[in-house]
Amino acid sequence: MKEHTLILLLFLVISIAIMGLFLVIFQSSKIENETGMQNPKKKRFFFFIILASILLVLLSITIPKSPYFQYADNSPAKVVYIAAQQYVFLSSFQAITLDNINTEAIEVPANEVIEFRVTSLDVNHGFAIYNDKAELVTQTQAMPGYINKLRWKFTEPGKYNILCLEFCGGGHSFMRSSFTVK
Amino acid sequence: MASISLKRITSTWIITVMVLFVIAILFGITMRFNQGKLIQISPTSFYSIMTVHGLTMIGIWSVAGLAAIHYLLSRYLSIPTSISVFAFIFTVLGVVMLWSSAFIGEFHAGWTFLYPLPFKVAWKSWATPLFLSGLAVLGVAWLVWSVGILYQILKKYTITQTLGWQHFSTNPSIETPPLILISTVSLIGIIVCLLSAVVLLVLFFAEYFSNGAYSNDPLLMKNITYFFGHTIANETLYLGLASLYELMPEISKKPKFKTTWYVALAWNCTLVFILTAFFHHLYMDFVQPLGFQMIGQLASYFASLPAAAVTAFSVAVLVYKNQIRWSLSNILFFLGVMGWIIGGIGALIDATISNNIILHNTLWVPAHFHTYNAMGNVLFSLAFFVWVANDFSDLPVDSGIPKFIISLLVLGGFGFVLMFYLGGAMSIPRRFALYPPEFNNLSWLATLGGWFAVVYLISILFIFFTILKKCLKVFSAS
Ligand code: HEM
Ligand SMILES: [Cu+2]
Repeated sequence: MKEHTLILLLFLVISIAIMGLFLVIFQSSKIENETGMQNPKKKRFFFFIILASILLVLLSITIPKSPYFQYADNSPAKVVYIAAQQYVFLSSFQAITLDNINTEAIEVPANEVIEFRVTSLDVNHGFAIYNDKAELVTQTQAMPGYINKLRWKFTEPGKYNILCLEFCGGGHSFMRSSFTVK
Repeated sequence: MASISLKRITSTWIITVMVLFVIAILFGITMRFNQGKLIQISPTSFYSIMTVHGLTMIGIWSVAGLAAIHYLLSRYLSIPTSISVFAFIFTVLGVVMLWSSAFIGEFHAGWTFLYPLPFKVAWKSWATPLFLSGLAVLGVAWLVWSVGILYQILKKYTITQTLGWQHFSTNPSIETPPLILISTVSLIGIIVCLLSAVVLLVLFFAEYFSNGAYSNDPLLMKNITYFFGHTIANETLYLGLASLYELMPEISKKPKFKTTWYVALAWNCTLVFILTAFFHHLYMDFVQPLGFQMIGQLASYFASLPAAAVTAFSVAVLVYKNQIRWSLSNILFFLGVMGWIIGGIGALIDATISNNIILHNTLWVPAHFHTYNAMGNVLFSLAFFVWVANDFSDLPVDSGIPKFIISLLVLGGFGFVLMFYLGGAMSIPRRFALYPPEFNNLSWLATLGGWFAVVYLISILFIFFTILKKCLKVFSAS
């Protein structure tokens, strides 16, 4: 199953469970002779220990999967320069600066590590890569004065779209580009 | 005891907040219907509306929280009513300035006005300084109010007592009421974050008046912006919880909540963690030092645990197998805790760096923060409003749960946010006035979300009318 769907399902299951729990607690308040919660101190202790352990386990599983560590030891097969600007993306195999504005169509090989060096020439923008099923694959921010290096290995060839995921003004939702993976 | 002048200013705050809330919801519905192609407005109008909606919502629920603790703290100490009046006048002024900059000046840089966008003037050139000045007015008003309240607390309690540290020893000499503890923790947070807003505005103005001689560092500005934005949004919620601790047991006719060592510990931890959790807004800025990214995820995980778990557990102990006299106000508190926790789960998922890469700035973000706001914090404040309105007048107190209103609220509220969650999971970006062609087949999500919001609005109007008559009573009483 796709990550996106898994995340949604996980969230929905937990939310419905929480709603159920609140409903049970609510219904229990309609009794005639009240007993209250038995052993609340002990229950509270276990409640905390369990929650804290779940969080620690999740932390230790998810932190290593952070994008900063992905393909960090590989050397990229291709380097692609991206410069965002209200409301276009410039892309090139050579560095793009204010004195050297250039853009070209991008085609990169599949199953190789590609490095995108992303910056902006004006305000903050986002650089988000979508596959042809309109699923967000990966992203980084395009910030003026800084270069974010995003590494990715495309396993499926095809056309990929770039959308801007940081609000950058009136044309924000029309800002887009694309590239090909062969 | 609340004086008549305190009742009047509190009532004024409530009516103002409710009127602005209804208008801001209508702005929200407008945005959703535009995204769903049911209506058509220009992208720049959309973004002006979005900017005003975000700021107004954050603003009104901050002042609602401050007004609530001001009122409730008067049971323990005396706080001059004049600072609340001062804050009110300046808040109205600030709001007028912000709305004018957006609706007349066409300013539309979003409520986070991320540097350097406000300087890329795509609106009337006076709108940027007016917007920044409007923020400064609000900042000063709320700073004076928060510092004023904190000052009165510290006149009665020492700083360690307000933070409940004596509860870590076996025989605490005095008990810090939870209201004092939570108010102090929230006020410290609010003051720190308002000060950061002042720094931010100074940096903006420095560049504005330097005519190109000085320019700011975008990464630093982004860090300050989110420190401010994230912190204010969260502290506001804690103000709502302060009312919950004070009122929910009382309304339910049960013994008051007490500060114990674990309650004190939880809120002290919250004070620390919440100030560093904002780093999760910069996960996708890979140039941010790696240590901050790690602190971001750690603090986000552990900021949610103490306050939420302690509160949820205390509410469970209060209600479980105990006969509760339910009424509109305590059911709102109860539902609010549920909404807050569900929104918190959505937030935790997004605050996990490996998920953030596919959720950052998608509709998942408005999904989770609308859950803990519209179905969490708002309900805490509404619960206070309903309770205090009864305190204002001797009109009969309604009892029992108004099933119709609560059903609309739950259906409308959760339906509205569910459409955001589905959109986020399907990678639809946030802050898009119009969706690009690849999402054409999903525009029904936006329209349906808008209709759910209409249902939510209807229940809010019912609640407003329930309390309005009582709120107006204080102006005729002598
Ligand atoms: C049912 C009532 C509400 C509706 C219909 C509504 C609707 C919306 C919509 C459509 C957006 C833009 C989403 C996007 O990025 O595409 C938005 C953004 C936002 N809303 Fe709400 N909202 C509601 C309640 C609230 C509440 C209670 C708060 C409380 C704090 C709030 C705070 C915000 C903020 C801060 C933003 C972000 C603005 C920005 O991106 O600059 N909203 N809302
Ligand atoms: Cu953009």
